[in-house]
Amino acid sequence: MAVQPEVEKKGLWRSFTEGADDIFTRITAGISAGEFRRMLRGEPPGRPNPRLKPHSEAFLLHIKPTYYHESVTRFTHTFRLGILSTYLFLFETITGIFLMIWYTPSPDQAYADMIAILSNVPYGQFMRDLHRLGAEMMVAIVTLHMVRTYLTGSYKPPRQFTWFTGVILLVVTLFLSFSGYLLPWDQLAFWAVTIGTSMAEAVPPKIVGETVNLLARGAPDISANGLLRFYLLHVLFLPLVLFLFFFVHYYKVVHFGISLPASEEEVGQDTANKVPADKRVYFLPDVLIDETAVLIAFTTLMIFLVTFFFSAPLESIANPQSTPLHTVAPWYFYWLQGMLKIADKTFAGVILPGVLLVLLMAIPYLDPNPSRRVRDRRVAIISGIVAGVVMIILSWMGTPQYAAQAAPPVEVVQEMMPEEGAGIVREIGYDEIPNGVYDTRNDLPAMYPEEEYPGMHEILVEFEDNIKYWDKRDSDFNEAYGVLTVSQEQPNLKRLDWDIRWLDAEGVEGSFQRSFWLHKDSLYWEEYGLKDFGYLMPTEEEQ
Amino acid sequence: MRKPWYSIFYVKSPIAKIGLGILAVLAGIVLVLFLMATENKRMDAQTASWEGRSIEKGASLFIANCASCHGLDGKGLPVVAPALNSRYFFSQRIDDVGFTGSLKQYVKGTIHSGRPSKVSTQWVNIMPTWSNQVGGPLREDQVDQLVDFVLNWEEEAMAQTPEEDPWQFFQDSLSKQLPYSPDEPGYDEKVAEAIAAAEAAGAVGYEIGGVAAEAPTEGEGDAAAGPRAPEDLFASLGCAGCHNINADQTDESKGPVGPNLGNLADHAGSRVDGEDAETYVHQSIVDPGAFVVPGYMNGVMPQNFADQMSEDEIQGLVEWLLSH
Repeated sequence: MAVQPEVEKKGLWRSFTEGADDIFTRITAGISAGEFRRMLRGEPPGRPNPRLKPHSEAFLLHIKPTYYHESVTRFTHTFRLGILSTYLFLFETITGIFLMIWYTPSPDQAYADMIAILSNVPYGQFMRDLHRLGAEMMVAIVTLHMVRTYLTGSYKPPRQFTWFTGVILLVVTLFLSFSGYLLPWDQLAFWAVTIGTSMAEAVPPKIVGETVNLLARGAPDISANGLLRFYLLHVLFLPLVLFLFFFVHYYKVVHFGISLPASEEEVGQDTANKVPADKRVYFLPDVLIDETAVLIAFTTLMIFLVTFFFSAPLESIANPQSTPLHTVAPWYFYWLQGMLKIADKTFAGVILPGVLLVLLMAIPYLDPNPSRRVRDRRVAIISGIVAGVVMIILSWMGTPQYAAQAAPPVEVVQEMMPEEGAGIVREIGYDEIPNGVYDTRNDLPAMYPEEEYPGMHEILVEFEDNIKYWDKRDSDFNEAYGVLTVSQEQPNLKRLDWDIRWLDAEGVEGSFQRSFWLHKDSLYWEEYGLKDFGYLMPTEEEQ
Repeated sequence: MRKPWYSIFYVKSPIAKIGLGILAVLAGIVLVLFLMATENKRMDAQTASWEGRSIEKGASLFIANCASCHGLDGKGLPVVAPALNSRYFFSQRIDDVGFTGSLKQYVKGTIHSGRPSKVSTQWVNIMPTWSNQVGGPLREDQVDQLVDFVLNWEEEAMAQTPEEDPWQFFQDSLSKQLPYSPDEPGYDEKVAEAIAAAEAAGAVGYEIGGVAAEAPTEGEGDAAAGPRAPEDLFASLGCAGCHNINADQTDESKGPVGPNLGNLADHAGSRVDGEDAETYVHQSIVDPGAFVVPGYMNGVMPQNFADQMSEDEIQGLVEWLLSH
């Protein structure tokens, strides 16, 4: 069609607006500019509803329902946990690809790449922190999603299989998070994954366990091949598995509809797909606006947390020859570590989690109760809460607090200056620690008052308290005192010698020494907590 | 139906949600801009931080592996190993040996591959290979940490006067220049040391610190010079670095590295059954490991004195030590 006769017929302005409207309608797959304005104004759709067109035209919308029941769109019914889980998968993919640009899955290179990402890539630390926080959030949100589904009884018929695939997605999420754990190739990663894969070794019979372990690690111990395998699992295989099961899961969600609040239907009934016309909330525009707003707000929350309160840890480079004191799994595996402390590896590490997992998947098939109402499900809800409390107790037992204490003097020094990670002394830092000899038999906090030595005062109080704490607790650690000697080793490098002395139950003297060095420029941080913005202060030269 | 308390979360208004979305976008942009503004400083701080951490790790490796020869303060031990915490080392060494890379690469190469022994050297121990790529005990990243630690002496070393500089000049690779200015204290002594090292190696036609050495005249060569005096040997071979000749070895006063030699004659004859004082002292010089005085470590005293002195000189030294 020639352009000119068209313009002559309609005039320039009208041809322009009609052309623009046409383009707008193509982009939105069927929503004209006028309809879009009416949406924003909150006007009801005409009949037939022109806002359904994108659902049949556009690929991305054809999997979304055209309308929802009003009751399930309430924030407190789903807390948007499902879409947040899906979004986090996308979020992790994007931040993960960014990190992949600078990452080489080789023990010679991986750790140096992490340091390069932190110190040489603009927004490198930001992306790494986002990726790590996103991973932890994903585990938390997927779990909460499951808890919500359990408490509202939404796994009951006809949604048993949806729950089943959901448990698979939870497991894949845990494996995804765990496989990514190894990639920085630091001590934290190496030892957490060594412990994790050694559990695979406990799978009975022996030949199977050893083979699984060998396949995962690529060698008897984790090394170059193990790192490559975990990398491929993390960036390729597990995301594909998750992708597949996500679509199965989501198809089932759409197919059966989101279950209504139990109070709104009869026991045994499922009316989620029979939405009366006055209860319909259309995806376009209401649910779309709602979901977009939630996702944007969530993204900003993540950016906010990462800017001020969350820093992905990076310890020393992996050293297969030295296991750091108090090696812990990521927090979402504390419960497993707790179980391993009270039972043997095969039972607590393989059989029990395996049985629990099968039980979890089978819940909808085992639960004979047709009612989803809370007052009809006392047993289910109480046992759910008990299971949650047991998980929390087991998780606490998984931390070094429980039954994994070293000798008191080792713990005292570990508390002040751990082998890996920050600790109070490193966080206070070089500048606030004057050279000298600090003997806890003297009244150190009074000798170094808070007004004059704010950082050193805190360290010395902590040092004294730690020694007193263990003195009281351990009968083999009496009349203990500690001497901290701080000396200048090199320009900008201090040496801290910790010397702890005590009498054991028989009155025999014991001593423990440990030396650490602290450089002026070293920054140490904890994973959670306000970030240190000290580097924004002008340096001495600038002042 | 009464609405539950949490019904405040049932937000229906699209305007409220769009408003929340827009506010969140704006807040996100502000945060990202804040990061952008501080990103350069953050990257600088991170770079410095990882260097600092590397130096911390290097310090503990140095104490464990290197300090026994190069000294706790890196100032070297006489005839055992050269100083690293030295102004000469930081400013002149790589020029003198003709190394074309940077000092960092020089240090890394030396730690990594060691220094195979030469035919003639004044150092007792050879520098072993440290990297596990060439049979040593350390991983490559640990070698890098050591390099960072050694180079961190720069500030301290560059502030040394020639007098304070602990550098001992090599006899097998001569100094061509000195990094000091003639008006600094100790300059002349340092030049004399460098020349003495060159002479000990029998070098000719060199120029050190602007002092051109004369070619040795007839009869000045090593062979013609006759046995060197024991007191000179005691100083030039570095014995005095570990043995104090002016103090007695008693229970109250013991030499920290090697026994004091002031009263050597009193107990030299009784240390080993069947050896008189002369035999014992002679053997202790040529084969220090044969008997080690309790409380001292084997392997500290150089094993190659028999190559550095003639038999006459050793005899002279034994007599001098016992009669001193």
